[in-house]
Order: sequence, then C-alpha cells, then structure tokens
Amino acid sequence: MSLDATFTREIPLLEGKSSFKEIDDVIAKPVESKPTIKWWIAIGISSTALLIGAVCLGLTFWYGIGLWGNNQPVGWAFDIINFVFWIGIGHAGTLISAILFLFRQKWRTGIARFAEAMTIFAVMTAGLFPAIHTGRPWLDGYLLPYPNQHNLWVNFTSPLLWDVFAVSTYFTVSFVFWYVGLIPDLATLRDRTTSGIKKFVYTIFSLGWRGSNRHWQHYERVYLILAGLSTPLVLSVHTIVSFDFAVSVIPGWHTTIFPPYFVAGAIFSGFGMVSTVLIIVRKVFDMEHIITVNTLEKMNKILLATGTMVGYAYGMEFFIAWYSGNPVEQFAFINRAFGPYAWAYWIMISCNVLFPQLFWFKKIRRNIPITFVIVILVNVGMWFERFVIIVTSLHRDYLPTSWAMYYPTMYDIGILLGSFGLFFTLIILFARTLPVVSMAELKAVTENAQPKIHHNGSE
Amino acid sequence: MDKGKLNISNMIIENGPEAKREDSEDLVEQALNKTYWRSFKELYNDPDFKDAVKYEFTKESEEKPDLSKLSGISRRRFLALMSASAALAAAGCSNYKDKGLVIAYNQKPEEVVLGLPNYYASACTGCGSACGILVKTREGRPIKIDGNPDHPVSKGKICTKGQASIMNLYNPERLREPMFNKLQTSWDEANKNIVNELKSASSSGKEIAIITHSVLSPSLKKLLDEFKVTYPTAKIYSYEVFNDTPKQNAWFKSYGKRTIPALQLDKAKVILALESDFLGNELNQIENTRLYSQTRDVMSKNEFSRLYAVEGAVTLTGTNADYRIRLRTDAIEEFVICILNELVNRKKVSAFAADSRVTSVLASYNLNDFAAKYYLDLKSLNQLIEDLTKHQGEGIILAGDKLPESTHIAANLLNEVLGNTKLYSSESENVELMPLSTNDELSALDDNMQKGGVGVVIHFDTNPVFHFSPDYNYAEALKKVHTVVTLTEEISESAELSGYVLPINDPLESWGDFKTRTGFYSLQQPIIAPLYNTRQKEAILLNWKDLEKPYNEKIYNDYIRENWEKNLYPVFGSLAPFNKFWLTILHDGVALVNEKSESAGTFSTGAFAESSRMKAGSDFIVLLQNNNSVGDGRFASNGWLQELPNPITKTVWDNYAALSPQAASEIGVNSNDLVEITLGSKKQTLPVFVQPGLADKVIEISLGYGRTAAGAVGTGVGVNANVLISKAPAITERFYNNAQITKVSGTYEIASTQEHYPIDSDPLLKDIQYKRGIIREGTYEEYKTNPKFLKEKEGRLNLQPINKPPVYESKDYTGYKWGMAIDLNKCTGCGACITACNVENNIPIVGKDQVIVNREMMWIRLDRYYSGTPDAPKTSYQPMLCQHCDYAPCENVCPVVATTHSNDGLNAMAYNRCVGTRYCSNNCPYKVRRFNYFDFRDHFRDSIQYAEPLDLLANPEVTVRSRGIMEKCTFCIQRIMKERQDAIQENRKVIGSNVKTACQEACPAYAIVFGDVNDKESEIAKYREHELAYSVLEEIKVLPNVTYIAKLRNVLEESK
Repeated sequence: MSLDATFTREIPLLEGKSSFKEIDDVIAKPVESKPTIKWWIAIGISSTALLIGAVCLGLTFWYGIGLWGNNQPVGWAFDIINFVFWIGIGHAGTLISAILFLFRQKWRTGIARFAEAMTIFAVMTAGLFPAIHTGRPWLDGYLLPYPNQHNLWVNFTSPLLWDVFAVSTYFTVSFVFWYVGLIPDLATLRDRTTSGIKKFVYTIFSLGWRGSNRHWQHYERVYLILAGLSTPLVLSVHTIVSFDFAVSVIPGWHTTIFPPYFVAGAIFSGFGMVSTVLIIVRKVFDMEHIITVNTLEKMNKILLATGTMVGYAYGMEFFIAWYSGNPVEQFAFINRAFGPYAWAYWIMISCNVLFPQLFWFKKIRRNIPITFVIVILVNVGMWFERFVIIVTSLHRDYLPTSWAMYYPTMYDIGILLGSFGLFFTLIILFARTLPVVSMAELKAVTENAQPKIHHNGSE
Repeated sequence: MDKGKLNISNMIIENGPEAKREDSEDLVEQALNKTYWRSFKELYNDPDFKDAVKYEFTKESEEKPDLSKLSGISRRRFLALMSASAALAAAGCSNYKDKGLVIAYNQKPEEVVLGLPNYYASACTGCGSACGILVKTREGRPIKIDGNPDHPVSKGKICTKGQASIMNLYNPERLREPMFNKLQTSWDEANKNIVNELKSASSSGKEIAIITHSVLSPSLKKLLDEFKVTYPTAKIYSYEVFNDTPKQNAWFKSYGKRTIPALQLDKAKVILALESDFLGNELNQIENTRLYSQTRDVMSKNEFSRLYAVEGAVTLTGTNADYRIRLRTDAIEEFVICILNELVNRKKVSAFAADSRVTSVLASYNLNDFAAKYYLDLKSLNQLIEDLTKHQGEGIILAGDKLPESTHIAANLLNEVLGNTKLYSSESENVELMPLSTNDELSALDDNMQKGGVGVVIHFDTNPVFHFSPDYNYAEALKKVHTVVTLTEEISESAELSGYVLPINDPLESWGDFKTRTGFYSLQQPIIAPLYNTRQKEAILLNWKDLEKPYNEKIYNDYIRENWEKNLYPVFGSLAPFNKFWLTILHDGVALVNEKSESAGTFSTGAFAESSRMKAGSDFIVLLQNNNSVGDGRFASNGWLQELPNPITKTVWDNYAALSPQAASEIGVNSNDLVEITLGSKKQTLPVFVQPGLADKVIEISLGYGRTAAGAVGTGVGVNANVLISKAPAITERFYNNAQITKVSGTYEIASTQEHYPIDSDPLLKDIQYKRGIIREGTYEEYKTNPKFLKEKEGRLNLQPINKPPVYESKDYTGYKWGMAIDLNKCTGCGACITACNVENNIPIVGKDQVIVNREMMWIRLDRYYSGTPDAPKTSYQPMLCQHCDYAPCENVCPVVATTHSNDGLNAMAYNRCVGTRYCSNNCPYKVRRFNYFDFRDHFRDSIQYAEPLDLLANPEVTVRSRGIMEKCTFCIQRIMKERQDAIQENRKVIGSNVKTACQEACPAYAIVFGDVNDKESEIAKYREHELAYSVLEEIKVLPNVTYIAKLRNVLEESK
C-alpha cells in the first residue's frame, strides 16, 4: 500500500504491484504443481469425515432412519437442520457474485470464485438431506412432478415441494454462473499447460475462448444477465426454505418474520463460512496479497450487519409472541430461552448476536486470528439457530402429553460430520483443479489496469 | 499380379464366393494362390470345407432326420421342462412386497364366504371372570376377540387382556411337542409313563397333587372328582395370585355364605370405594365400568352418582373419583369404623344404634380425631357423611380385595347400617365351584413334598414356581418329587423344573363350560383346530383317568356333552331335544338358566364385634397390585400387553416401586433410582417411580413382572415382586406393613409413553391443559344450573373462524360424513380401546428401547393430565386419536399427496404413496401420527413378529405398513367400507350407526360414539350438538371431527 493514501482514493484490491504473469503464476500454481503434503493431509481428513458419513448413511439405508434420534414429536432434527444450514452457507456465493457484482463492489473479485464454488458445494451437500431424510429414500422420485401411469401429481401446496423447485433452480443457476465465470480462466490454463490431457480437457471446457474483444463483450453481457437472474434467487431460496416452517401451524414455526429473517441468517452464515475457508486458503496458497485484509474487513462488516439483523429477528419473535397474546406462542418462546434446550438457545444468541458485535472495532475487524475465531462461532451459532427453530419448536407443541426430548445418536453426528467431509472434500478437490481466484477479473482490478480516474474528474 | 500385395478389389474377388468355386488339383499351388484364408481347412482346400461353403445347410439337415439319433427328450417334455423352469424362475423371484403364497380353498367350507368374517361365541379364560367372547375369524383363522353381546356379564365388552390374548394363540414360541427332560417325546410315550407313575404313586400311597388355577368349569370339576376316584391319593389344589379370599371370608362371617352377590352399581347414587379398584383391576371390572358409566350419562336425565375413593394407592377408580381421600391403606379400617361411629352413635341412622355389641366397639373411634391425625379434609368427609345419610339404600361401600377380612366386615356393617344391601342383586351372585386352597393347605402340600410324600405333581396350566411365596421354597420341594408334569402352552419357570412338559391347547382351541354366576353358564368352543401337536389340558387328564379309552381330539368335547346331557340339561327344563339345545348354547356362548341365588342370612354383628382390628402403623406399607397388562405374569409373553401403557403412570415394559413425592424426597430418591424394599426376611430391589397422589409411606408394586422363563418377549421384563409375598401374611397376601425401604446405588430407566412433568413446580406448565383448552371441565352443579356454562365460561376459546374464506378450498360434505364423540364423563381411562385398535389395525410392538425414544405406534393413546397439588392431583383422561380435521394441517404439507381428504370427511393415508418426510406429523397439532422409523416387526426381539405363525394374526383388511412410512388412525376405514359394500348390495343408503370402530366396540363404558354427523337424527349428531361438546384446540381452526364431551365432576366446590 502506498504511503500517500488519501480518503478519496480507493484502497487497492491487490497488495503490491503484480504483473499479469505474476497473477497467473500465483493462482495457477496449485493447479499446475504436484499436491503438497499439506494438501494430502487436508484431503485425508476431509475424506475420512466423508467416509464416516457414508458409512452412517449406508447403515441408515439398510436399517431405516430409526438409527437417528428423530422421534414422535420431533420428526425433523439433524436431517433438516443440516439441510437448512448448508443451504444457508450457499447464500454467500451468489450474493458475492451477483448482488455485489451488480453493485459494482470490486472488492468481491478476490473471493467471488471461491464463494461461488462454495455455494455449489454447499447446495450439493444441502440437497443430499431432503433426499436422505425420507423414510423410503428409494421412492424420492415421487417428489418430482413427472407424468406417470398412476396419474399422480405432486402437491403444489406443500412447501417441501417448493423447496425441491427452489433448490434445484438455485443450484442450476449458480452452477451456470460459476461456469461462465470460469471460461476465461480455463482458457488461460489451457494456454499455460503442457500436458496433453489437461490441454484437451481445458480446450473442451473453455469453449474456444480466445479472449477476443467480441468474446469479452458477450461474456460481460451474459455475466450481467446471469447476475441479474441470480439476484432474486439469493432472496427467494431461503424465503422458500423458511416457508417449510412458516406455513405450518406449530408455535415457533408459524411466524411471518421468517422469510427476511432466514435470508439475513443465510447471508450471515454464508459469509461466516466463506471467511472461515478463505482465511485458511490465503494462508495455505500464499494468496495474502490477493485475498487481502481489506477484503476480509469488508466481509466482517457484512457479518456485523447481518448478525445484527438476525439479532433483531430474535428479539422481534419474542416481542410478537408477547404482543400476540397467544399463550401457546408465548410458551414456545419462553421454552426456547428457558426450557430444557435453553443451552442451545444461548449458544445461538451468543455466537450470532453477541460475538459479531466485536466487529464494531476496526482493530478486531482487521485481526485475522480473532476474525477466524468469530467466524467459526458464527458457523456454530447458525447451526444452532436451526436446531433451536426445528427441535425446540417440535419437542413441546400443543398437547403436553406428546412432549418429549430429542437426543441425537452417533449416526446423526456421523452424517453431520460426513456433510462437512463432503463439502470440504469438494472444496479441496476444487482448489487443486481449478483457479480459486478469478484470474481474468483480478487482472482487471490491478493498479493501472483500468483507465485512471483523476481527482479532478477528468479521465 | 504380385502375390504378396493385393489391392482392395483383389481381396474381394479372391475371397468372394466365386473364388471358392475354383477347383484345382494342386493344393500347394492353390494354397499359394490364396491370399486370404479363414482356416487351415480353407487354405488347404479341405473338401469338407468346400462343401460347407457350397451348401447353405449341412447334409444332415437336408436329409430326413433320424429320430433314433435324436436326444431322448420329446418336444412335449422339452416344453414341459421349459415351462417348469420358467414357472420356477417366476416363483423364485419375489420382491419385498410379495410375501408368501395365496392359496385358495380347494373345497370351500360351507360357512366361509371369502372376504367375510365369521363370528363364534366362546369364553375367555384369562382370569377368574370367564367372560363371554365373540371371536372374529377370517378364512378359518381367529383374528379378533370382542365381548359376547349376549353374555349377561360382559355384554359385548372385554378387557385389555382378553382382547390381546389372541396373540397367545399365535405365539411363535408356543410349545409344539411333548417333552421329557427337555427332549422331544411322543404323546403315547409320555402318557404311558405318566400313567405308570400315577398308578405307582397311587398304590404306594404317595400323593398326587394337581395344582390348578380357580376351577370355574362344572365339567372340569366333575372330571377332577372322578380323577380322584381313579387315583385315590390325588388332591386338587387351586390358587390365584389375585383373589378375593379375604372378602369371601368376611362374607362368610357376616352372612354365613362365601358367595358375594352381584352389585347394581347403576342404581347407586353414592359409591365409596375403599382401596377398591372396581373400575380397574378387580374382578368384574368390565361389568362395573358399564354400570358405573350409566350413572354418568349426560344424555339421560338421571342424576350423576358421586364417587368417593379412600385409598393409599393411586388406582383407576381413585383417579376417576369425584372426591379422592388419600389415606394410608392400614388406616382404612379405622376410617370405616369412624364413619360407622358417626352414623350409628351420633346420627343413630339405623337399628344397629341399639346394638350394644356394635356401639361399644364404635364408641372408641372418632372421625374428627381421625381426620386431624391424617390431615384429612373435614369438608369432604362431612360431605361424605351427608351423602351416605341422604342416600340410604342408594349408596354402596366397596372394599378392595387386598383389604383384610376385618375391614370387609366393617364395610359390610356400614352397608347394613345404611340399608345399602338393597343394591345387592337378589337374583345374581357369584358362584364358587371349588374354593381356592388356603395357605395352610398349600403349606401342607409343600411339607409333604419336602418329606418325599408326593409322588406326582401336575401343574395344570399353572406356574407355582413363579407365583408361590418364597416361604414355600417350592422349587426345592419340586426336586423331591419323583414326577413333575407341567401342562402349559408356553415355557414357564415351572416347566423348566418339570420332567414332563406337555403342550396344551390355547383357549381358542379348547372346549369348556364355566359357571361364575347364578343364572347362566358360559360355553367355550374351539375356534380353530390345534395348530400344533397339542392337547387340551382337560383331555389329557381325562385320558389319564380313562385308560382304556384311546385319545382323540373329541374326547373332552364328548365328556362335556355327556355331563351336560346327564346332569345339566335336565335342570334347564328345555323343550328342545338335547342335540338342538347343545348346539344352541354353543352358538350363543351362554346358557341362561332360571335359578335363584341362595338367600343371605342377616348380618352377624358378632362377626364385627369379634373381629380383630387392623392397627395403623407409621412405617412403609407395601401394596402388591394387579395390572391391566401382564396380569399375574401369565401374559408376560404378550408384547401388546407389555407395551400397553399403565392407565395412570403410562409406563410400559416394567414394574417399579411407586412412591409419593414426599416419601421419595425423604429417602432421597427420584424416578429411576433403585431402592431395596425389605419385608422381614424378604428383599427385592426395584426402580422408583414417583407417583403424585400416592399416600405417604405407601409403596405400590405391580406383580406379574420379572419372569425368568417367558420366551423372547417376556423374559427379564421388570422385577419379580412375588418374592415379597408371605405364606402367612399379617394382613393379606398383597398388603404388608412394616416395610423398610433404602436407597441403593444405581439407576434403571423406566419407559413411559408420556413424559413426566412436575405439576406444581413450573408455573408455565401448571394447568396447561385447561389454559390451552385441551381439557375442559365443570361441575355437575354448574351444569344443572346452567347447561350452557361451558361455552359461556371460556369466551376466548370460542373464536369464530378467522380464516373465512379458508386458505384451501373446502368440501361441502353433502353425503355422509364421519365423526366421533368421546364422552369424558364415561371414559375411565382403562385402555381397552388401545388394545382393540392394536389388534384391529395390525399395530406392531416396538419394544422398550423404542418407547424410550418416543416411537410407540399406538394409533389411539390415552392422555393423562394432572392438576392441583402433587399430593392430591386431579386427574383427567382423554383418548387422543386422529381428529380427521376438516382443514387438516397434515394434508397441505405432504409433498406427494399421500394424505388426503375423502368426500366422507376422512383424513386418509395412502401408504403406497408415502415417502416418509414426516412433515405431516410435525404439522399435526395433536401429534397423533405414527412413523415407522424401523420395520418394527423386524427390529423387535430378533424379528419375532415375523416368525410363523404370527402372520396369521394379521387382520387381512388392514395393510401391514412397511418401514419408513407414516400411519395413523383411519376411523377403522375397513369397517366403513364394509358398511358401504353392504349398503350398495342392499341398495340402501349408508347408515352411520352401522359402523362401529374397534375402539368404540371395545369401550366398556360406552364412551365412544361414532357415525354419520350429517344424519341429524343420529346419536353422534346429538353428541356434537350437546352443550358440553368441545373440540380440542378449537382456536387453531383445523375443525376436528372428534368431539369431546366435557367431564363434569360431581363435586360441590367451584371447579376450573
């Protein structure tokens, strides 16, 4: 950073002056070099977790989901908690790549690719849960509307069906968006590689990209359109996921605040997870000058904003429960905060609302270790938010005679672990096979890459 | 042409068909000319090859076939084999949905119409009541037991045990072959040897002991008498763990006869139950419940009765009482005498006031002092005195069968004083064919066994090793007996110690006749041929008695017939010939006879004056209780009963020591902690269950648990409390004082279908059932003054529909529409409906581990709510089942439309379509949906529920649900469909009252009404429009179709 920085001057997005070649070298290095021992350790851990999850899931398929802790009345537990949690994680990517793109937030450049990839992997992980949570997963096809000889159609009034559409749309659009963004970089890799097989693969997937002016024009246009298409999805997916609960009659679920509350929470958790992973990645791949402290600080600001929104929603739920005068609703919330699962509630409150408040301090925002701890806590807190919403609402609903406690089993925990295993295995494989930062976009934000805007307004 | 190289056209030419036709002499030359060759034969121009190329078919094929050279398999045989293998392949491949073969009748029995049930009358032998039953069979196999409507006692109803006992018939672990020293033997061999033993015992003067349960059958009694003639040293011993011997003794002393008259409970205005569970676990509970519920009928104009219960334990009767007075069981006698003193000495209500023998005894008792000593509420005591005085001749005092003789005599006196003997039926009384053996008689047998004076012991379908007090040391005594024979259906502790174990017929495979009351006989006929190589226990004895007669399946039938023809038929004075008479009574299951009960003598005041007085102590009391599930342990292998929640505590699969909250805190224990209970030299360790309402220092323990040899299901369930029984008890066999209780280390988890919450500690939970409009109650007074009080009282709950128009389109139900009403005034919470539903709807047993994680599968549950203080809780029962809501919240959330609404108002489940998202269950405000988290039949006890022949038990009208799908109450849709079929066939409209759901059919209190709510004349419509009708959780507007009639408590103070 130059010493003569003024307030009117934008903080550079890259630290130091990197030539285009240097950028290519740094970003393509993990793809082009042999995996390091660090990489093998990382994939070893994540694939072990994945394997544990796969074994637990296999046993679940064989014996039935009775292996889990779900019961009467807690019909949904870790299965749907994990689903909502991972869908939420998936929100950061689209937000960063679409909404921040439309708002011309250039600082997104360093993290957009990674965040998008995380979105896709998180949605893939999330998508697993609705499929495996059913009692008869071999009949999951019934959830899709397809013409059949029984003349049976799906139930369009069921929010669970809306989920099917919302999640699959979201996945498709996010995937296309991510892929389109990858094309120029795939072409770069194609041009750099010496291996015949790699060249063949990159050639196919870079769709004949030559970086001509025309290509760039089309590319920018498509990217803009896709960004426009994805933007409503950022808001709609979690809105629809929240309908799973809001449409029901169960106290603690039956709440109109859920859509905005869920979206804020999803962005919050998504940014939490992006930060968690990026802080590791920038260290491991020596990209500290590309994914800069400035970028992380901006993300921390968003965490502070969304965390506070979520905190507002928590407070508002209590207010409405009191204001409604509905004793069942009031009980549900008092039970959340002071009932048998109060510990989960207070984990949620402290991780999601209290700790992010530390980001009011610039020193903390820019302190990487503290940020790392807080974003991990955010991940924990957001998982517990879903636990609180799902389990504590179900375990004590209308008739006290049906009340019961829910305790997870080792299979629940194994599958949760497996979901992290799947997510991180995909991330780690991605980091080895594709550029984790958009080379093309990064080049556009290096110093002097763009026509300079002078202080006097002339160009 | 260069031979080494070829162009393409050469290749074709050289290798084309034309090229092959060339004939050349020089093979080598030819070979060299060949540039391409397919084989050496071609290369060297083998003539065969040339032929083969030349002709399309082989020579042989063009010639006429030589049949002799062909294989021996003919075309027919080939086709047969092929079709056989295809059939084999087709039959061999099955999927999980296709279980087994369906075999049609070759020759259809005349009375069987495929798809329609047949009903046969018989009798239940589950306890000493011998209720009449009606057994439903489908294609020859019994599938359900209900009460016989023609039977004067059971009147179409039967208890939980009777209903579930059908599972015993199909128990996969039934003994199938006779055994000698645990090795299979033949009947002939066994009979021959046993008869030799009997003869040698008889000739050497050694005793032959037959140990049986109470003998209720006249023919069996005759047989036993004759057996004693054949084998003069034979003696018959009979015992019941749950008996009313003290009561009978008291009646003998009071009135000079042991038999107790039937009660006209329906005419009672005041009932005082003294540690008596007449609605729950005492004899005749079905009849008692029916009669009692008639005094609680809001549809009739009759006054409500008022039920007072004075008890130390918490019984079904006590929890249903209007006034429940919590009192140590050993103070009850004093209580009765205090009441007597109040009535006789102070109010002089009867002639006994002049009898100094009585008054002098009474004088030393004072109710006020008594009330002060035991902290009793004087207001309710005065109310009791006032009611008893006011309703003289219209009240009844019932003393429980655990209480000692002296208390029963005092209770008899109280009834005499009040003239309540008017409620004793003059026409009907209990009949005792053979009194139970006294403890002295059993001790004598035991001593004789120990001395070696007993040659043969025959356990006649009994299990004394498990049941007898440890004082007898019976297991040791058995070792000194040369021959021990156990006649039993299933393995038992006694069978384990027996040389001969002979498998006997299930009651549903047996003949029998029973006499339990004056006025009628009950008949038992086999519903199915013996499934295995078993024999009826009476037939075995008969075979041993009449040695010359060879055994056949009919010998005992012939014996009963003969007995009836000779001895009983003449008594009836029937005009019909015997054969017709016999078939008629078999068909009816009951034979009514015109006979009067012996007239009772006048009350002997001497009996009261002379009887010893029970002194109340201050130590712990132990009450050994009956239960509605395993009984004395004979139903331990019946999973349905093991899993039937205790009506009050809702526990399953275990017994425990119930303690009052105060006693528990004194000892420093909580539920699930272990305690050791010491009675003299006897000890047992049990888990604690803290039971609100229990009198302090009263320990309640259920018997029948802790079987050590009861098959895969029953072995090791609970703790054996029989070891606490004394053979010479100070009070009675099931009632002990001076018990010590100490905490021991360790805990044991008791499974319960309903979580246990402190009712007083948390203000949020207090009275939650009232606050949420789940339970709505009032007093009878309130109702009389203002019948509409309920609707006016709670304005908040009467919200008008706020969602108009509703979110989802509603049906208008122009035809018939099904609805149910449950009258909470009548429901006692006994659980008969649960068992009926289990049997009717093929509900699997899930096991204790799954109940602990809240996965029980019962479609109907009996919710129990407490209010008030832990010392004196007010209890409310509420059967809860699918409410078939008009706006069912489960329906709109199912993504695959697996649960939908029918045009007749049913919330239906399409099992095949269900993928098991459990969303419907989450969104059900009543949480009545049940999910198959496992294939529970497979999960429980190494898939014993899939073992043969348990599959025969299934109701063919109801799908057996697979793993991973949701299920719930269907309003017995199979029965609705039957009515619909009948209506179509008879070309009439569907009549709602023709459909009876299984729970309704079983309810002994007639608390459940079902029918077409659109038929305004119907009973159900009247219930729905009743002033006391309400639905649970009305305010969420799901419009449930189960209507509850609010319970009215006949108490004087203001209620909630």
